[in-house]
Amino acid sequence: MKIGFIGFGTMGQPMAEHLLKAGQELRVWSRRVASADFAVALGAVRCESVQEVASGSEVVCTNVTGSADVEGLATELRSAFAPGAIHLDFSTIAPGAARMIAARHRECGVDFVDAPVSGGGTGARNATLAIMWGGREELAPRLAPIFSVLGKSAVRIGEAGAGQVAKACNQMILVNLIEACAEAAALANAAGIDFGLVREAMLGGSAGSRALEVFGGRMATREFMSPALVPGTVSPKGVPIVEARLHHKDYALLMDEATRIGAPLPVSVMVWQQLNALMAQGWGTQDTSSLLRVLETATRR
Amino acid sequence: MNVGFIGLGLMGRPMALHLEKAGHTLHLWARRPESLAPFAAVNAKTYATPAQVAANAEVVIVMVADAPDVEKVCLGADGLASGSKPGLVVVDMSTINPNAARSIGLRLAEKGIAFVDAPVSGGETGAINAALTIMVGGTPEAFEKVKPLLEKMGKSVTLIGASGAGQVAKACNQILTGVGVLAVAEAFSFAAKSGVDPAKVREALLGGFAYSKILENHGQRMLDRNFKPGFKAWMHQKDLRIVMEEAHRMGLMLPSAAATAQVFNAIVGSGMGENDSITALQLLEKMSTPDGK
Repeated sequence: MKIGFIGFGTMGQPMAEHLLKAGQELRVWSRRVASADFAVALGAVRCESVQEVASGSEVVCTNVTGSADVEGLATELRSAFAPGAIHLDFSTIAPGAARMIAARHRECGVDFVDAPVSGGGTGARNATLAIMWGGREELAPRLAPIFSVLGKSAVRIGEAGAGQVAKACNQMILVNLIEACAEAAALANAAGIDFGLVREAMLGGSAGSRALEVFGGRMATREFMSPALVPGTVSPKGVPIVEARLHHKDYALLMDEATRIGAPLPVSVMVWQQLNALMAQGWGTQDTSSLLRVLETATRR
Repeated sequence: MNVGFIGLGLMGRPMALHLEKAGHTLHLWARRPESLAPFAAVNAKTYATPAQVAANAEVVIVMVADAPDVEKVCLGADGLASGSKPGLVVVDMSTINPNAARSIGLRLAEKGIAFVDAPVSGGETGAINAALTIMVGGTPEAFEKVKPLLEKMGKSVTLIGASGAGQVAKACNQILTGVGVLAVAEAFSFAAKSGVDPAKVREALLGGFAYSKILENHGQRMLDRNFKPGFKAWMHQKDLRIVMEEAHRMGLMLPSAAATAQVFNAIVGSGMGENDSITALQLLEKMSTPDGK
């Protein structure tokens, strides 16, 4: 299959690598030319423009940061896509933006599939991502060869935009849980109790969770700096590293969607405010376990 | 009238003195004897126990910190109930849990004592100027008996309903003032972070639908950065705890009050509890200012 790929960040680079190593033909383009060098070295074809990627590909994968980036790329791709092409976007963007792009693509006979992922940089490197996608059901067989080399699961949630709703749910559960862990740590610390032991005791019980294991662990050892951001360190196996600013961004998306459809999210809206404070403290590029430090800031004398 | 008064703190002392000035005879007991000193020169008698106060008074006013204190004064060893004459009316002007007030009222009623809950709003200034707002719960008969006394301490005295109703009204007051103070602090933070002068915003908003006494008075004190109480933040925290306890007991959703209560927890936890409630503004500023920058 002829696949285009745009966006080689923490997630995109290992994903593109997996596709190349699986024998897929990749056409690549990147704003900073050097970002795609690794792909070219693995046999990818370098294109001079987004349009050139689109005109030669049956499926183009994009993996960038915000809704505006995806919208910009979508416009360029649309102008060069052959009818029947698929724009497969792995970015986490607003569900509304995904639906809008899908509608515009449809007018040109192009499909948009939103396929945000969960698992972070580690999941991307180990090809163990959880992929949640929205788009026409008939597309599944054409997407399967891509999904199967990138993730351990790919679930079709519904029509275009549905993948982003699932991702919003994923982020909401995860970060709300991180906040719950932070509040438990703050309570234990204030009571003069070792949160490391509290965590250890809880991991085997009903309150055990991935968030408690990973983020609670970092709270217990006070490792708030993402290992991914510390030169010379690697993340422990299977531990997703996400900068807090990205979780913060996700909350803006999900709150926007909640407002649009009138869904009350009383707890999440409070977590969002804690994330706002986290950003104000300048910890956006550090680990989201910094939510503990936000609570500590509130009682700092 | 022979009036007992227990709880001669910041609020209670001026309130009791208003009654004495109006010609009533005070019968006093205090946990700390030094609280009795301001009454040495006035028409007041002091006793060793609340029971002795009850034995010499037709009405006893209680103004203490919280429900366990009220319970102890009323129903504890040597409490009011153990010394009362028939027909005694106990007026509790403390702010306590409405359900606790009802329970104390019922237990006093079994001993033939009428109980009236009459919490106040207006703070120390209101107490000194006899300008308190007094919210009363109890029977109409008991209310009529104590109303002339309450009118010497407050400018507005309202019978809200049966026992506990005064505390319910006070809890409502604390929801509005707690959430209100935080709302003004949030609006000012928002303006300041946007590079807009909060003083100008306040001035403009005072003429519109967002006008409130809190915006006017508390807002001005925020602009003056005058965090002296007023009404202490830890007391607001206590009152919001009562609100949330009752919301829990009744199964009632109060999202804003819950959030506000957490802000007051942080204020007390950071050692700012002795400041006025408007110290909420300082908490918001701290939360949005990077450490040491």
